[in-house]
Amino acid sequence: MLLWCIATIVVGLGAATTTARAQETERDLLSRLPKPAEKKIDFIRDVQPLFKERCFKCHGPEKHKSDYRLDRKADALEGGSIGEAITAGNSATSMLIHYVAGLDEDMIMPPKGERLTAKQIGVLRAWIDQGANWPAEADAAADTRPTHWSLLPLHNSPAPQVKQQQDRVLTPIDAFVIAKLQEKGFKLSPPADKRTLIRRVTFDLTGLPPTPAEVDAFIADDSPQAYERVVDRLLASPRYGERWARHWMDIIHWAETHGHDEDAPRDNAWPYRDYLVRSFNDDKPYAQFVREQVAGDVLMPNDPQGVIATGFLAAGPWDESSQMGIQDGTLDKKMARILDRDDIIMTTMSTFVSSTVHCARCHNHKFDPISQEDYYSLQAVFAGVDRVDRAYDPDPEHGARRRALLAMQADIKAGRVPREILLSVDVQSRVSAWDKEIAEGNVWTVLTPESIESAGGATATPQADGSIVFSGARPDKDTYTITASPRLDRITAVRLEVMTDASLYHNGPGRQDNGNLHLSEFKLFAAPASDPAAMKPVELHRPTADFNQQGWTIEHALDGNPTTAWGIYPEVGKPHFAVFELKTPIDAKDGVVLKIVLEQLHGSVHLIGRPRLSATSAPSIASMTSLTAELTSILKGAPAQRTADQSAALALHVLRDENDKALAALPPVQLVYAVASDFAAKGNFVPAKTPRPVSVLRRGDIRSPIKPAVPGTLGCVEGLESRFKLDDMDDEGARRVALANWLSADENVLTWRSIVNRVWQYHFGRGIVDTPNDFGRNGSLPTHPQLLDWLAVWFRDHGGSLKSLHRLIVTSAAYRQSVTDNEKYAASDADNHYLWRMNRTRLDAEELRDALLAMSGKIDLTMGGPSARQFNTSKGVHVTPNLDYDGFDVDSPAARRRCVYRFIFRTVPDPFMDALDCPDASQLTPKRTTSFTAPQALAMLNDRFLLRYCEHMADRLRREHADLDDQVRTLFELTCARPPTNDEAAAVGAYVKKHGLANACRVILNSNDFMFVN
Amino acid sequence: MDRSSASRIVTTIPRRDLLSGIGGGFAGIALSQLLGQSDLLAKDAGVGAPRADLNGGIHHRAKAKRIVQLFMNGGASQVDTFDPKPRLTELDGQKFDPGSGEKVESVTGSAGFKVLKSPFDFKRHGDCGRWVSSVLPHMAGIVDDLTFLTSMVTKSNVHGLASYMQNTGFVLPGFPCMGAWISYALGRINDNLPAFIVMPDARGLPYNNQGNFSAGFLPAQHQGTLVKASSPNPISHLMPPKEAGFVTPESESEGRELLQQMNRAYQEQHPGDSRLGARIESYELAAKMQLSVPELFDLKGESKDTLSAYGVNEAPTEDFGRRCLLARRMLERGVRFVQVWSGAGGPTKNWDNHANIPTELPAIASQVDKPAAALVRDLKQRGMLEDTLVIWTTEFGRMPFSQGSAGRDHNGGTFVTWLAGAGLKPGVAYGESDEWGWKALTPIPCYDLHATILHLLGIDHTKLTFRHNGIDRRLTDVHGHVLDPILA
Repeated sequence: MLLWCIATIVVGLGAATTTARAQETERDLLSRLPKPAEKKIDFIRDVQPLFKERCFKCHGPEKHKSDYRLDRKADALEGGSIGEAITAGNSATSMLIHYVAGLDEDMIMPPKGERLTAKQIGVLRAWIDQGANWPAEADAAADTRPTHWSLLPLHNSPAPQVKQQQDRVLTPIDAFVIAKLQEKGFKLSPPADKRTLIRRVTFDLTGLPPTPAEVDAFIADDSPQAYERVVDRLLASPRYGERWARHWMDIIHWAETHGHDEDAPRDNAWPYRDYLVRSFNDDKPYAQFVREQVAGDVLMPNDPQGVIATGFLAAGPWDESSQMGIQDGTLDKKMARILDRDDIIMTTMSTFVSSTVHCARCHNHKFDPISQEDYYSLQAVFAGVDRVDRAYDPDPEHGARRRALLAMQADIKAGRVPREILLSVDVQSRVSAWDKEIAEGNVWTVLTPESIESAGGATATPQADGSIVFSGARPDKDTYTITASPRLDRITAVRLEVMTDASLYHNGPGRQDNGNLHLSEFKLFAAPASDPAAMKPVELHRPTADFNQQGWTIEHALDGNPTTAWGIYPEVGKPHFAVFELKTPIDAKDGVVLKIVLEQLHGSVHLIGRPRLSATSAPSIASMTSLTAELTSILKGAPAQRTADQSAALALHVLRDENDKALAALPPVQLVYAVASDFAAKGNFVPAKTPRPVSVLRRGDIRSPIKPAVPGTLGCVEGLESRFKLDDMDDEGARRVALANWLSADENVLTWRSIVNRVWQYHFGRGIVDTPNDFGRNGSLPTHPQLLDWLAVWFRDHGGSLKSLHRLIVTSAAYRQSVTDNEKYAASDADNHYLWRMNRTRLDAEELRDALLAMSGKIDLTMGGPSARQFNTSKGVHVTPNLDYDGFDVDSPAARRRCVYRFIFRTVPDPFMDALDCPDASQLTPKRTTSFTAPQALAMLNDRFLLRYCEHMADRLRREHADLDDQVRTLFELTCARPPTNDEAAAVGAYVKKHGLANACRVILNSNDFMFVN
Repeated sequence: MDRSSASRIVTTIPRRDLLSGIGGGFAGIALSQLLGQSDLLAKDAGVGAPRADLNGGIHHRAKAKRIVQLFMNGGASQVDTFDPKPRLTELDGQKFDPGSGEKVESVTGSAGFKVLKSPFDFKRHGDCGRWVSSVLPHMAGIVDDLTFLTSMVTKSNVHGLASYMQNTGFVLPGFPCMGAWISYALGRINDNLPAFIVMPDARGLPYNNQGNFSAGFLPAQHQGTLVKASSPNPISHLMPPKEAGFVTPESESEGRELLQQMNRAYQEQHPGDSRLGARIESYELAAKMQLSVPELFDLKGESKDTLSAYGVNEAPTEDFGRRCLLARRMLERGVRFVQVWSGAGGPTKNWDNHANIPTELPAIASQVDKPAAALVRDLKQRGMLEDTLVIWTTEFGRMPFSQGSAGRDHNGGTFVTWLAGAGLKPGVAYGESDEWGWKALTPIPCYDLHATILHLLGIDHTKLTFRHNGIDRRLTDVHGHVLDPILA
């Protein structure tokens, strides 16, 4: 199989040329090359001027043809798209020398102008032979002092004094904005009227329209603080957190399915969404918000919110078919991992520091001071985690207890419990108590088979140890029936061991080619010894097994369903066992005959190869399940005669047993789709446990590692270390903590600029920097650089309070101005970069849908919990279910939840939301596009949900008002926060008389007055 | 929430200059401009506008104006259709050993790696003598009109990734597909139908579902419009649903009138914002679509011969045949790009023949063979093939060795695509695979195919860009060469 990794086609062709050339003998080559100079070469004096003069035109700071440049040491030595050019120490094999010497007619450098002289080539050869020494002071990349605006220190200048519109300066923001307008010869527009303002700020802060009562109250409030009171009310409303969580979900492309070919639902992603809503509503300090999402599980081990917060890292798509289906060790699999980390890196760095570091996967960043090594350092940060459902305890106390018990379990498993503890009086007294209990049960008694029957005709050979080896005929399905007469006073449980045997594939324990087995049903019958024919079924319950195959758990052996079964794959080649408890113990004092039926009906030879059955009379079954043969024999001896080793072994078992019971007694864990370094393997998807090694890859090609990468981040932020110094490099969590520290540092100028710009953008429709995810050279420049820095410093130094920032912005005169038209201003600033007016915006998909629910009175404001699936599902042909939006009941409770609680299915988006530019979360959406298309018009006219809620709105209007004029007035107040004009009232009134209120609602909802916010 | 400036216009106009915010001054924009036909808007910021003097091209003269792409979902076996390998017959049942020492991998597992010969007869066809197997008798009849690419390669052996690759040029979700790029670059030809239409198999969506037709980071209006050809409501939201009984023809027409009246009044009160006008126009366009779509789906006007050529009223061609015929009708009515899928996602009933090539491949091929050939013939007979490009393709090929007893696993190493129509040399084949059909000797990545398709549309693939998250993205990433040898 041939795998084409990203950007390898060019490399592939280059490699072919190299191979051909390698066939020439070195002697031939040497004979055609000018001889190396015999002096000691000084790079700065002898070589760099030559590069500058003859090579820089195509391979210098400006152009990098074939991705090759000779102005920066790392790039020059690493090579370009056609491979390495300089092999330090060996000029004869260095391609750069071959090119300048013209060995290959198709590749002569420089391609135009005079060729290099033999003397010049000799100098280059000598430089390479002497080790290609390149002093740091001559390395363009070594000069890392930032020059780009976003990397310069935050400029904390006071708000400027303005000469015009001084009365409009309500906040420091206004001073900056008016000063800039003054520079351009513009002025702020007049303040917006109260109706416009309350509609604007209510949608803006909560994503919902103001109610007519809220509008009336605001208009009636004559106090100077009336507006501030509205703002405070809105910021205190839980609806605020819902609205801004939704923005955050856009930024990080969060959704609830995997988003690739196998687009499976993530049933446990929603706790992260609730974390967002809660964080915004609690006004969590921004630095903490950043830190929790990158490493909350490590930073806050005692707080369930810490684990949940890392749902951030799992937000993006995940390629289930490559990760789970594709065989391990293949190139496809390795590439899938690299691409998965790439998404995590892109999400993290775009979101928090507006950096396009993902551009440096195949080469150093073409525009920004970001090296390929920086990029792979970030790959290393996340090299120990995968996206997976992760367990957490909603109650921190339970969490702490569980962690302690799990730590104990690990110690027990590893035999790390000190001997003095095991032999301590306390532990030994617990052993005695347990021992006594066990003694009553006389542990497991092997059931020696009296008769064996294979319905499929297999040959059964009883063994000395009481097991039975099945051989010969290998039917697809089989049922074994075994009888035995145990000598026990009573029977409380039976055990089935499936043992290995050399006659079986993979040593079994199954007869399948892969060593597996599937036990469909386990049945027990009993009869008194006096009347063996009177067999009666015995009810079993509480099945346990030492291992369960994914989806094939031991419960299936008692579920009465022959199509489900217990299996042990992939843990083949090892013995396993299952224990079944009797609901009511059998009294066997007078002798009993047992009949055990092992139904194995799955097919494809999933049969047990070597079963052994036992029974017990022990009252406490859980303590029995993991008893080894060794422990069993210890138990058979008298306690006084046990050696210290035997006592210790028993004590370990008792501790394990107590520990397991305590764990089982805890309330069940909950799951969140987040990241983890350890988890139960699923098919070929296996945990890293410790960070996987990461290499810097030439051209991003998995087949071309250059050198190992160490955990780290961007090197271009001054005052912060870019390569992490960790005590234990294998400590996965420490890597993420180091990145969290870097991201949330006061000194990280990118972080603070990035977030205030995002908040500004959502309030004004355009950021101070119009490329919110790219503060690099390819991005936009800030329109108000001093304001941006002032806001960043103010925000950082005010505890990173987003609510304070919102309050500051929405109470500014800049925000409170009206949407006006000014031909003169528009002629030079049509896009309103300088804020000479407020921007008019169209309702987005969520605002529209939530508004419909609110205006119809049908909205369900329940917060949190599993997402509302606003579609019907049926089983799909493969992993992805079939989705039906058309058949979904738009009156069902799920339809009435706010959009933030809507289940977003990546590859099958909701057609209504889709038509309104709602992103499908396959890519980061730092800023939505707004389209006006015919399909959108049709959706607004004909969508089932919209039309049904027109009817609900009409019902509401009729319920509240008997009079038609009142109905029409309220319709306008609900939708547009204003009463109708006389003309509108007349026209709409006439229309209602003829066609009813629902039709009128449909018209108004389609109007620009409703669809736009001024 | 978008709080963007009022004069910015992001409308049906697929113009990058508008998106990047030149804005302003478009208040009185004409309908034709809203449809993207205007030269007025050709303020080139990477993408120009279609130019009449370039026959609708942007960077050079266009040869093709329309495209229909037939996508064989699952990975059509090249060695059992168009790329015969006698070596497989010779070595049938032996362990596959390419000899180069290169590791042979099989993503879903092929125990034994035993060479599997094709169970089908291959014969030469047409004047060009193109080899075609007995599985595709109708396509065999049109080989003189086809241009074959016989050594396509892809980067992934996984359906999802490889489907994204062939559709968007990237293995990850979130990138615009070719149809979206073309809609973005060229806009519409008509004013009553979408520019880019996708017709999935009646059995369901392909791998990646709608991800394959996504506009990615391009404005949403460029995504493929989903047409469910066999549904009574083939286009979502076209008409009010039955349950909305309160909407009557009268309430509809008078309501629209009232709406436009209110919206015009609003526009007058709020001058200087072209989006207000754009929304008014979008409702006029919507009305036109409502009128033209029913006519499009009405096959009454098609002759008996045409219906039977496409196999519209017979098994097993009914579904694919209907969609091919609809595709022709869409192209006739000015739809720019139509994509027709064969097979849904999942392990069976498509071209993903893991279990049994002798039974599974003829089953799916017989649904496609006749209609696809009829489409090419029909376009040719109507003179449309001169400026229409037909593409038959898939996400990858299949292995020369067996999986189970008679199936084949995924093979991104080599596979076959054919093209027909505008600007191409008919009857030729380009590209060579190795003697087993395992790997291409002359690899043709999707970048080259995409570059060539854009070239035929008058677009330089290196200049069709869109800035997203810090990168000027292209359909062809940083790759792509126009396949000159197949150009007429």
